[in-house]
Order: sequence, then C-alpha cells, then structure tokens
Amino acid sequence: MGTREDEYDYLFKVVLIGDSGVGKSSLLSRFTRNEFNLESKSTIGVEFATRSIEVDGKTIKAQIWDTAGQERYRAITSAYYRGAVGALLVYDIAKHLSYENVERWLRELRDHADQNILIMLVGNKSDLRHLRSIPTEEAKAFAERNGLSFIETSALDSTNVEPAFQNILTEIYRIVSQKQMRDPPEGDVIRPDAEPTDVRPSHTDNVRKQCCQ
Amino acid sequence: MDSYQPEYDKNGVLSDTFWKTPQRAIPGRPLQTVKRTEVMSGSSYQQFQASVNDAWDLGDDDIISGIAETKISKAISQTAALNVINSHRNSSRNVNKNDVKVESEIVKPKAEAVEVKKNEVRKLGAGGSGPMRHYPGRPRPVRLSALTSREESSESKLERFQQMHDSAVIDLDDLKQISWSGIPVKARAITWRLLAGYLPPNAERRAETLERKRADYKHLVRQYYDAERDDDTYRQIHIDIPRMSPLVALFQQITVQVMFERILYIWAIRHPASGYVQGINDLVTPFFMVFLQEAAPGQELDNFPLDKLTEEQRDIIEADSFWCLSKFLDSIQDNYIFAQLGIQYKVNQLKELIRRIDLPLHEHLQTHGVDYLQFSFRWMNNLLTREIPLPCTIRLWDTYLAESDGFATFQLYVCAAFLLHWRERLMLERDFQGLMILLQNVPTQNWTDSNISVLVAEAYRLKFAFADAPNHLHNAGKSDR
Repeated sequence: MGTREDEYDYLFKVVLIGDSGVGKSSLLSRFTRNEFNLESKSTIGVEFATRSIEVDGKTIKAQIWDTAGQERYRAITSAYYRGAVGALLVYDIAKHLSYENVERWLRELRDHADQNILIMLVGNKSDLRHLRSIPTEEAKAFAERNGLSFIETSALDSTNVEPAFQNILTEIYRIVSQKQMRDPPEGDVIRPDAEPTDVRPSHTDNVRKQCCQ
Repeated sequence: MDSYQPEYDKNGVLSDTFWKTPQRAIPGRPLQTVKRTEVMSGSSYQQFQASVNDAWDLGDDDIISGIAETKISKAISQTAALNVINSHRNSSRNVNKNDVKVESEIVKPKAEAVEVKKNEVRKLGAGGSGPMRHYPGRPRPVRLSALTSREESSESKLERFQQMHDSAVIDLDDLKQISWSGIPVKARAITWRLLAGYLPPNAERRAETLERKRADYKHLVRQYYDAERDDDTYRQIHIDIPRMSPLVALFQQITVQVMFERILYIWAIRHPASGYVQGINDLVTPFFMVFLQEAAPGQELDNFPLDKLTEEQRDIIEADSFWCLSKFLDSIQDNYIFAQLGIQYKVNQLKELIRRIDLPLHEHLQTHGVDYLQFSFRWMNNLLTREIPLPCTIRLWDTYLAESDGFATFQLYVCAAFLLHWRERLMLERDFQGLMILLQNVPTQNWTDSNISVLVAEAYRLKFAFADAPNHLHNAGKSDR
C-alpha cells in the first residue's frame, strides 16, 4: 500500500451476477474501459476489474468482480460474494428466463453475501427494443417490492451504464459515511479516512475456508 | 575444448573444478532456483538441489570429450569418477560435433533437453529409489537430430513419426517420447488420435476402428441431439458457442457452430456427473483445428469456408473431435464435477508448490490479498487455452497428450511454471489490483512454440522434483506459514 494507484478514500467491492449471456462482462468493460468488446467470451470463474469515481470530493475505488453465470459455477463464485458491499443483479430485457431467475439470484445473495449488501437490479440490452420481453414497469415494481434499486442499461450503446455504477457506488458511500458519523469505527469492513476502506475478500483465509468446505 | 586437461587432486580423484557445474545458465538447470530457495533454510527441496548440484548436463559434454582422448593410468581408472566417465564415453562422442549449436541455440536445446530427460526417467525411474539419484541431465546417448537446426530437425522428426505410424504395432511409449517435445503439423492429427487412445496402435485394427467409431458417433447424434434435448444443457452450450471466437470468421459459420454444439451436447449428456461446464467448449477447439488442418492441408484456416469440404470430411472432423475430446476429458473429469473439486484441489497444490519453490513470490501474492483461486481457476479449468494463442495451445497439447500418466498431474506443474514465468513482473506490482489485472491478462500475444517448449521444460523440471516426492508438498504446510 502507499503507491500512487492506491490513492483513494474508499474501496468498495461490488459483484456482478446474473444468468449467463446477459452482458455482465460487457457492462464491466463498458464501465471500466469504456469499451464494448465484441470478443467477449464466457467468463470462467470470476474476473476482476477496477475503476475510481469521485463522490463529494472523495475518491471511491470500485473493485468489481464479474462472475460466471452458469449455475455450475456458483459454488466457486459465491465465495466471492463475501465482503461485497454492492451487487449488480443483471438480466437481459429480451430473455424472459434471465428475469425469472432473478429470484434465485437474490436467494443466492441472501445465502452467501453480507446481510447489508446493496442490490441493484439491472435490465441490460435496452437497445434491443424490438425484442423486449420484460416491460420496464414490471421490473421496476419487482425491484420496489424487494427493496432493490433499478435501472435499464445498454452496454452496447452505453446507455445508463455510467449512472448504474455511479448510483450504486454513491448509495454505498452515503450509507458508509452516515454509519461512520453514527458509530465510531470498529475495525469492521468499513473504516474511516485514515486508511482506505478495504473490502476486498481480503484475508484470503475467509475465502479459502469457504471454498474448501 | 580439446585442450582441456582434467585436473586430479593428490588422491587421483578428479578435483572440484572438473565437477563443478558451469556457471553459465543452462536450460533446465535448477541454478536460479537454488538461489531463490535460500530463504527456506533446511527445506528438503533445497537439500535435494544441493545433493544434485554436481549433476551433469548437456553442456558438460564438451568437457567429457576432452577426457575421452586423454590417457589415464590404471590406478586412476579404478576411481569411481573414471567409471562414470567410461560409462558415458560413447554417449558423449555423439554430442561432440554439435557442441557449438548447443550453446548458440538457446531455445531449441531446452525443448530437446526435456526429451532427453524423459528418456532418462523412463529408464531409471523404474528403480524406484527416488529422484535424488536420477536427476536428469546426466550424459546419455543423444540423437543427432535432437541437436540439429530447427528445419532439419522437424524434417527428420516428421520422418520418425511417419516411420512410427507405418509400423504394424506402434509403441505408444516411443510415440509419446517423440511427441512430448512437439509434433510436426503433418503428423499431428494421426498422432493425436493415437495418443488420445482413440486410434489403436495396432495397424490392422485402425481402419475398422475409425469406421466403427465414426458410425457410432452418427448414432449418438441421432439418439441425443436429433431427439428431444435437455433444455438447460443445450441453452448454455448454445449461448457459449457463438461467443467463443467472435472475430474469427471460421467460427462464425453456422456449420462450424452446429458441429461444436453437437459435440458438446452429446458429451455433456453422456457425462451427467459433470455435464457441460463453461470452458469445456474451449477444449474442443484444438482438436477441431488439428483435424480441420488435416482435411485442408496448407490452407489459411481463419477464413476457411467449411462448405469447401465434403460432408464426409466434415463428419470425420466432428466425430474424431468428439472421441478425442471424450478420451482427453476422461483423465480430468473431476475438474468439472460439482464444485469443481479437482480444480480446487489443484489450486491448493499450486499454492503449496509456489510457497515451496518461490516463497518471496508467494508472500508477495499473499500480502496483497491475491488468492490463487482468483487467477488460476481459469488456467486450470480451460487448460490455459484462454491465456495463450491457439497455435501455442495446440503445441502445448502435443505435450499434454504425450504425458505418460495423463496430464492431470502435469497440468499443475505447467500452471506453476506459467506463474513463475511472470514472477519478475509480478514482483514489480505493488497492489492487489495491479497483480490481478496482470494475472488475468498476461501478455502472451507474441508467444510462439518455443515459449511453450520452455514452459513445458520448466514444468517438467518441477514435476520431476516434486511429483515423485509428495512430502515436499506435505511438509510445506507444516513448516512454513
């Protein structure tokens, strides 16, 4: 620690989850590199990228874990939910099944992620207007019922990708800074400015314990 | 080198200077590692290294050649040292002429040296007295072809393959031995079929077997693929195939995608313990390419329209890819069962291994919170196909297929060698993100076959040092952090 790249006030770990092929990796590369990569192969296990944004003059570094969508991989990927303070739960607005599976993904988060994780429901591929099978209102209502925030995005034409990540990171930041004002830090996941908040799946022991069970 | 005079000490034994290993870097020699492992005081690996420090290697042969022409008194000839020399005199003569090439061409001998090592192990390993005494690299007969220039080598190598293919009953051990260091393009398809255990070594049975297996495959297609399909399995495969190589025209052809779909779907249905796991699709590609290359020799394959081939040719590519994939996956099926236990186990082994042989690197990764699972899962799941260019993958699979005990074990050492290859760059990274980004995107774009030869040579060295001495790994957990 202490190098220039490390100059940030907060480090938030966020996971991208959802069915295979809904565009999780594309959202990630759009947000972190502003690229839409045609050569986007299926994600194997988990992949990682990072980007920093500014909120209220604070630098927030987002450490984003992109997970494989195939059900088979959940035993591996769920190990990475630990320590995540935010989750983007992605479905494809043109694939009804990926929307139906949102409930299963929520259960997955409930079982493996930290209790207070912030979840944003993301309907991706909004550019496929003629193929849409999930009305915006329906997803919005579902999100409200389940206490999730909601947005529709297109990684292809970059609609709303920036706001999606900005919103969830800002929301996390608000909660964290409020919490800090309320309670003094306890050396838990979230710590004040002196040291950057580090919520990586750190302390690899945790991860190892989980995956070796 | 001819002027070299061996030095003897008072007792008539060859003195230290003779036995000392040359200080220049020799491919496959553990010299650097000795330095690196110094931090681990008293480790058994270090002791092992020390105990074999005086081992011979190819570079020592120029010294031996001087001795071969030196008159030696009877008394001295009775010393143990001379016995060694005598026993190796013949072998060293062969190497003589090519000494210069050994030194000047760095990459090639590395690859070939491994072939030499393999021979050595095969012969001596049966003794079962552990790796200490049989460290590879001691002088032994070296084929001239092993040291000639690349083109000559590949020509004569091709001849050797062809001779072998033509024999009535192929000795698979021999075939593995020459395949390990790379198979010439023209011999590859047949050799892969043989090594995969798909094509029988007995020439009489080959044509009949191929005919039967290819017919069997057609039957499987009718039975499983043309019938009612399992939705979940098919859907996942159907999502993954089009995005395998979206920028390569070859793979954008529907004909090709359907071939892949059938191969994977049928494999998955017939292997319910694992089913289809993302990444297995990448493992079809090398087989497909090699059999396509056989059907369309000398063609540019990236844009090759598959409709140019006859239906029969396409069926052969598909059926043979299927059967070879099936055989290939047999040895690593636990990589793909629930929770992918095989991979988790190997990832832990990788961690132990790196901790053992490169503690600074291991600690560097640990300090910055990098977990081995985070980067090596994909390496293991996809057998490095995502990390290196396709031609390199194919070359790497020459070695995988030629690994005598299946490559399940060897895979671990290849991953270890791969990680160690980037160690200098990794040590320069100062934080978690830097390390992870590098580990996920290692710059192999310009890799060629020779990089793979170096990689497998290093993997072989590690395997030799550790695979037969599991205690090296077990002890690691107890004595270190």
